[in-house]
Amino acid sequence: MAETAHPAWPETHFVFRDFFRQALHVAGRVLASLSLIALITLVSYGLLHVNAATTGFFYFVAILTIATAGGLVESTIASIAAMLCLNYFFLPPIATLSGAEPQNWVALFAFLATSLIASQLSARAKRRTKEAIDRQHEIERLYSLSRALLLTDATRPMPQQVVQQIAQAFEFPAVALYDRHRDEIHRASKEDMPEMEQQLREAALRSTVFVDHGSGLTIQPVRLGGRPIGSLGILGSSISEAALQSLLNLVAIGLERALSQEAVNRAEVARQSEELKSTLLDAIAHEFKTPLTSIKAVTTDLLSDPGHGLLQHQRELVTIADEGTDRLSKLVTDAIQLARIEGGKFRLHRQVHFPSSLLSAALRQMKPFMDGREIKVSAADDLPLVWVDGELIQMVITHLLDNALKYSPSGSPISIDARSNQGRVTICVTDQGPGIAEEEQSRIFHKFHRGKTDPILKGTGMGLAIAREIMDAHGEQIWVVSDPGKGAEFCFSLPVAGRSGHE
Amino acid sequence: MSAGRVLVIDDDPQIRRAMRASLTARDYQVSDARTGEEGLEKLRSAGYDLVLLDMNMPGMGGIETCRLIRSSSDVAIIMLTVSNSEKDKVEALDAGADDYVTKPFSMPELLARIRATLRRLPQPPDNTDLKQLASQGVIIDLSSRQITVRGRVSHLTAKEFDLLSYLLARPNKTITHRELLQAVWGPDYGDELEYLRVFVNRLRKKIEPDPSKPQFLLTEAWAGYRFDFPRPGPNQKASGP
Repeated sequence: MAETAHPAWPETHFVFRDFFRQALHVAGRVLASLSLIALITLVSYGLLHVNAATTGFFYFVAILTIATAGGLVESTIASIAAMLCLNYFFLPPIATLSGAEPQNWVALFAFLATSLIASQLSARAKRRTKEAIDRQHEIERLYSLSRALLLTDATRPMPQQVVQQIAQAFEFPAVALYDRHRDEIHRASKEDMPEMEQQLREAALRSTVFVDHGSGLTIQPVRLGGRPIGSLGILGSSISEAALQSLLNLVAIGLERALSQEAVNRAEVARQSEELKSTLLDAIAHEFKTPLTSIKAVTTDLLSDPGHGLLQHQRELVTIADEGTDRLSKLVTDAIQLARIEGGKFRLHRQVHFPSSLLSAALRQMKPFMDGREIKVSAADDLPLVWVDGELIQMVITHLLDNALKYSPSGSPISIDARSNQGRVTICVTDQGPGIAEEEQSRIFHKFHRGKTDPILKGTGMGLAIAREIMDAHGEQIWVVSDPGKGAEFCFSLPVAGRSGHE
Repeated sequence: MSAGRVLVIDDDPQIRRAMRASLTARDYQVSDARTGEEGLEKLRSAGYDLVLLDMNMPGMGGIETCRLIRSSSDVAIIMLTVSNSEKDKVEALDAGADDYVTKPFSMPELLARIRATLRRLPQPPDNTDLKQLASQGVIIDLSSRQITVRGRVSHLTAKEFDLLSYLLARPNKTITHRELLQAVWGPDYGDELEYLRVFVNRLRKKIEPDPSKPQFLLTEAWAGYRFDFPRPGPNQKASGP
């Protein structure tokens, strides 16, 4: 424990002056006490001419009063003075301090002893009362501090408010709080504060107490659950050890509360920005899809009815416009999907699903694009339930299916296979297309990568990137197995429900 | 002869133009409105068979418009929307829409949906069964499509009515999802389980004394739905009105 006098601290003057002031104070009270004894002596001896016993009672009452109002020093001096006066003025032989009869001596010492004991008792009672009042004040201050800490202003840094509230509640000349998490020191002081950064950091780091008696500086570590989270320096602390510990606990709770409040705020900001992004993307989707809707309505209407009497070349031209519309629409859909999920900053809505329901929902969605091609689905009846975001996993399946449909010759078979192994369900989509060269396999999941076998730009280059983002968000894998010339097999794994603490 | 009166409510003028041209060519009488408010006004002043309602409009918005139309009218409603998410579909159907088409759509698909939505089922259910229901406090008036349950009166939309009468005509028998969808919506349907889920909920709110504990319109998990007729028995008198 470091006990050093700080060289740059002029506080020794203050201490000295304080002592001097206190001595003067006591001297004044002693003088007043002696004056009271003198007054009683004068009145009893000169005016009332009462006997020794009556005067003794007068003295006794005066001494009790002095002990209660003043302190032990004054009442002791007054007791001795009263005993001497009693001897000198009231006990024969009068006007001498010696030669009293033995029983008078006994009476005198009995008087002195009674006075001294009564002074002692009275002074002790007074000290106790003062202590009790002090405790009560401390408790009131701790209470007002805890109240203030609960009602802090959310717009200002919490540690700064904690320091100010402490200084205000306990009327300390100076308080400094070191917040270890942020490595910041906050101060509140009426007087100049000494340089104490080093000690504050050390107290928090080593969890040690630093006391400088010369300056009246105390630095205590602030702990929460045994873990030091900061330190508190107080100048001129006069509070009890118990109150100090309570104060430190309050500070610890205040700091911890500030931290958790911050975490909540960060989460709220993230949520709001996600919401804003989502709203923005909805608006973009709407703006792009609206004109596409009227174009699509026109082209499909023209193509739907042979009775419209389109010439063959006109039909060909309208078909081109119609396909262009589809492509543009798919691009917009994919780009918005990708923007929505990119970077993994979106919330998964995980639920328990049957793998086969996810497959059939995806197949249903792809039905209009299958062009009558057959897709063989083999899924075991006893597949376990999976814990996934159903809508997103459907999206992965539709993108893989879309890929297989686009990059394999029409009429060639496509198969979907779902099997369970090692706590996961693996789903694979296999086609009989040209396959993917090995050096290309690592790149196909990248954004805007398009297969070399895509001469007429069928894909958008986003489907596999979307699928990978979705699998990343689930913490699962997606991969491809392909021998060029022998087709490709795209697989991904899904977590089985009930394996990691969820339903 | 007109194939039906259609009101197109969409804020995009080009879509309104395309709809008007295509639908008029198929003998529909077409009116249009730019906002939900204007659409409601037109619905008040003239009778329509079907409303094509854009989901995403400035002002009142499609969902709110749909709800307001439904609160006073049984007209068929098809929602047009950009989003294909399950949540939006269910929201549209919950608001009272009969069907849902994702933009951009092909005209033949929209026409098929319009035909399916306007399609009516011919067969009325057996009247004796309705008397059984009446003894349980559920009065179904087929001619006015009005239902009274414990003094609470509600109207069925055409599609709700078709779904209910199909089930009523096959009492105490589980009807599969596919059969229900194809019978009530049309042969192109069969996988749209969310339609059934929402419509059955809508029906339950109207016919069940306690919709959260259905006693007539029952779900058969993974299979379909069943209309359970109260069987004549010792309890019947006690639970009658």
